[in-house]
Amino acid sequence: MIFIMAWRNIWRNKMRSIVIILSIAIGLFAGIAVLALYKGMMKSRVRTVIDAEVGHLQIHDTSFKKDYEPQFVISNGADLLKNISSMPEVKLAAPRSITNGMLATATGSSGVQINGVIPALEYEASQLKKKIIEGNEFYPAKKNEVIVGKKLAGKMKLKVGSKLVLTFTDTSGNIVSGAFRVAAVYQSDNAPLDERNVYVTMNDMNALLGISNAFHELVVLLKNDEDVKTVQQTLRKKFPAYQIETWREISPETDLLVKTVDQYSYIIMVIIMLALAFGIINTMLMAILERTREIGMMMALGTNKIRIFSLVLMETIFLTLAGTPVGILIGWLAANYYNRRGLNLSGMGREMMSSFGFNPLIYPEFPADKLMGVLLIVVITAIVSCLFPAMKALKLQPVEALRL
Amino acid sequence: MNTVIDAHNISKVYNPETIPVYAVNNVHLHLERGEFTALVGPSGSGKTTLLNMIGGLDKPDGGNIFINGNDITKLSANELIDFRLKNIGFVFQSFNLIPVLTAKENVEFIMQLQKIKQSERDERIKQLFQQIGLEDKLNERPSKLSGGQQQRVAVARALASKPQFVLADEPTANLDTKSASNLLDIMAKLNKEENITFLFSTHDQRVIDRARRVITLVDGRIVKDTAVVSTEHKEAATIR
Repeated sequence: MIFIMAWRNIWRNKMRSIVIILSIAIGLFAGIAVLALYKGMMKSRVRTVIDAEVGHLQIHDTSFKKDYEPQFVISNGADLLKNISSMPEVKLAAPRSITNGMLATATGSSGVQINGVIPALEYEASQLKKKIIEGNEFYPAKKNEVIVGKKLAGKMKLKVGSKLVLTFTDTSGNIVSGAFRVAAVYQSDNAPLDERNVYVTMNDMNALLGISNAFHELVVLLKNDEDVKTVQQTLRKKFPAYQIETWREISPETDLLVKTVDQYSYIIMVIIMLALAFGIINTMLMAILERTREIGMMMALGTNKIRIFSLVLMETIFLTLAGTPVGILIGWLAANYYNRRGLNLSGMGREMMSSFGFNPLIYPEFPADKLMGVLLIVVITAIVSCLFPAMKALKLQPVEALRL
Repeated sequence: MNTVIDAHNISKVYNPETIPVYAVNNVHLHLERGEFTALVGPSGSGKTTLLNMIGGLDKPDGGNIFINGNDITKLSANELIDFRLKNIGFVFQSFNLIPVLTAKENVEFIMQLQKIKQSERDERIKQLFQQIGLEDKLNERPSKLSGGQQQRVAVARALASKPQFVLADEPTANLDTKSASNLLDIMAKLNKEENITFLFSTHDQRVIDRARRVITLVDGRIVKDTAVVSTEHKEAATIR
């Protein structure tokens, strides 16, 4: 009966209840929209990290990443490449020769990471070809071509066809230089990375480094994201001499970002619900105040405090939960709509987004995995919101309440 | 006959530390099972306060109240709630039905609180609504019932828990003559046929005329306690 009373009580003042139910629905929609947006952004960021920056796994010589010394090439690299490429979980394995050096033009110089790549593999491993915004991909017949990032090109005033000199040390510690011509300018979603990385062909780079067919880094792309850990373990067992890292280890900032944003999204949800809680408390207090006499009468007739508390709690939960499906539905519809169409946030500043490594075109995703968490927050909000009005009700003395 | 209510020296004083006002002053009251008693007196004489104390809604500042031998002044607030549920039926001046429940649900609610089985509840509801003559209004909400009908449902609710006695605070005050008379007929019938004890506080001469005992309160004291054999033949019994 308390259940029936609670449900009917919330409809005694329809307008007031509808207003609070709608505000809960809108608040929940806002929360879900934020969660969906964050989820889309984080998914896009992780995809960028995996598909366009570091791959699922990277393999290096154990000493290479300490100082990026060119002599620490992957021993038996060719065999390793062959072996890994033949694994069923592996989609692609792309080798890179890497060194840090100086890019110099007639007007200035800048420290860069020079990536010697096999163009056909690199185009797939980091989608370098897709990122080209000016000029053309590496032309096989040409030597000493370089592809530079947009930000670096702007800083060094480089254009397609510009000449530059790359200087670095070879495996013997000698300083070597090579004159290169800009074949293309690329732009990724990660401006700091664009500013630091230049790409040359592995043949040109290895010739200067003096490492013939060796390489320093093997980027591994898998068919499924979920296989990362198992493949890493398999490779570690098979090739214990190498340093084998997942994208989470290589790009801990991305992992941290995803986890932090996950927590932030819950915090935002809690803040929204906290604001709504005051509305709920207000509504429930008004409801209790209006029914002082009725509650006093119920107590006089023998309704104990647990039942009075249950009544207030149920009313608050009904009031709160009534708006929940509406909020979730609108959130789901909006998330699905923008998931198909994409939400262009370039109005917020493409540069700003890209400086944090984000694509301005976000595909929000309904946070189904967080739905239980969201519902839990809603229920906790209802319970917390009912406490104050319930205490008010419980403090009523039947004799005084009936006198009103 | 057996004693239902036995109140000794009960007092209720407001502002005890400044200007004490005795709402009820050293009152003795003794009610036997099956009585149909009216508590009368001018406004402010302490009728409702006395009724509230007997009903366990208010605590006296002095004295003891025994209901069926149990001193309710010694019970805690929670024990009193349970005691009221099991022993006392209330009828209020302004009906005080739960507006979101139907007439049937209002009556059933009390029985649910008492954890009475569904089959037993259904049977009792049928019987009670027959007694109050509202079998056709079982599923109506209070807002769809007249004042008289609401008060009859309130009587049914008061009797739902098979209480030791029913306290009715000005039950006819908001009713027209016909409804009041109808209600009094029902209560008198219940009193006569089922030996249910009724204690009214009232100003209403119609109630006083039907009572078999009339207790008059003035300034918190019982000044007259009259047992009435019949409306035609009144006999003064005790004057305290």
